[in-house]
Amino acid sequence: MNEFVVALGWFGLFAPVALGAIGSAWGCALGGSAAIGAMLDSDGGYGRFIGVSLMPSSQVIYGIVIMFSLQQPTIDAANGAALFGIGLLSGVTMLYTGIRQGEVLASAIHASKAKPEIFGISLAPAAVLEGFSVFALVFALVLSGSIPA
Amino acid sequence: MSRPHQYIALVSSLPHLGKLFSRKDVPISGFRLKQRLSMLEPAHASLLREMVEVTAWAGVAGFDRDIDVIRRANKVLADLQAYPDLQHLVGARMETRTLIAALRRRRDGQESAADIENWGLGRWCNQIRANWNDPAFGLGHFMPWVGEAHRLMLAGDHIAMERLVLTQVFDQLGHYGNLHEFDFEAVAIYVLRWVIVERWSRYNEADARARLETLVAAALAGKTDAGGLAGRQDLFSDFTSALEGAFS
Repeated sequence: MNEFVVALGWFGLFAPVALGAIGSAWGCALGGSAAIGAMLDSDGGYGRFIGVSLMPSSQVIYGIVIMFSLQQPTIDAANGAALFGIGLLSGVTMLYTGIRQGEVLASAIHASKAKPEIFGISLAPAAVLEGFSVFALVFALVLSGSIPA
Repeated sequence: MSRPHQYIALVSSLPHLGKLFSRKDVPISGFRLKQRLSMLEPAHASLLREMVEVTAWAGVAGFDRDIDVIRRANKVLADLQAYPDLQHLVGARMETRTLIAALRRRRDGQESAADIENWGLGRWCNQIRANWNDPAFGLGHFMPWVGEAHRLMLAGDHIAMERLVLTQVFDQLGHYGNLHEFDFEAVAIYVLRWVIVERWSRYNEADARARLETLVAAALAGKTDAGGLAGRQDLFSDFTSALEGAFS
């Protein structure tokens, strides 16, 4: 049983990085596809399209920060479940927000191509999703302080 | 590139069409559009070709009889089974054309719609047959444009009539377009809207009048095929396709 909890602990420790990386990759691919398409139909402003399409990269960075905050000298039955719970749930959050951020960025790029003046405001939904990722990051850091070493 | 990402890139590469009648030219040429549509999956390109074929005059012009067009439209509707919104859209387009054909046939003196199954398609055939003498075929309460089209047709205001019908179809496409953003349906709806914008950009009142006069002259001269030609044009005269050969 203890071995299983230890395995879960290791799973939870790396989950934020792995799931965050998947979310970032997926989100950047969605936003990047829209940016590539938009560049075909634009005579300039390529940098800003590519720039915003990279916004979902932050999820994997948050995942790395969470992993380091969860890291313990030893993973055992006392802390394995906590690592699993905090790591997995924060990882799922990074995965979901990364994908959804990519989707709203694709929409924002597409819409701002037709109406350039809304470019800034069209990024607001992506910024809100970024905020949710930050919530998950901050509270994972807070909880990591109470995990028994 | 996987299909969802490929379609995100494709849709993002298509310029905004804007409002109908708001510009004199199309924002993307037929040549460029054809280039962009090469990103479509082969099966989707084939479906789109079929859709354009039954919704554009240039496509249906190849058929000798209305009944052949109706058969073709039914086949396209069956092929679009996996895309219910496009199915509804093509069905709605055929219904709109049926209504316009009915208005024209009534104006030309036809006394009933007894043979409507040979030149009409869709939900309203029985309604049209049962309300042949009503200005809007009994549909005016939820499709007010039919009554307006009847009035414009009697007044002989063909341009206003064309604007009314194009607006109606454009809005119909807009309604379904709002349901799709980065998928095949979004691309198909864009192309169908582009066909309308392109059609209007090439619209020339003098040419339209000359074409109408040619048709009337042919009918009065009693050419053997004039009736059939006029009948086909009644039903399928609202669009031409600038995408001829675009998918070949």
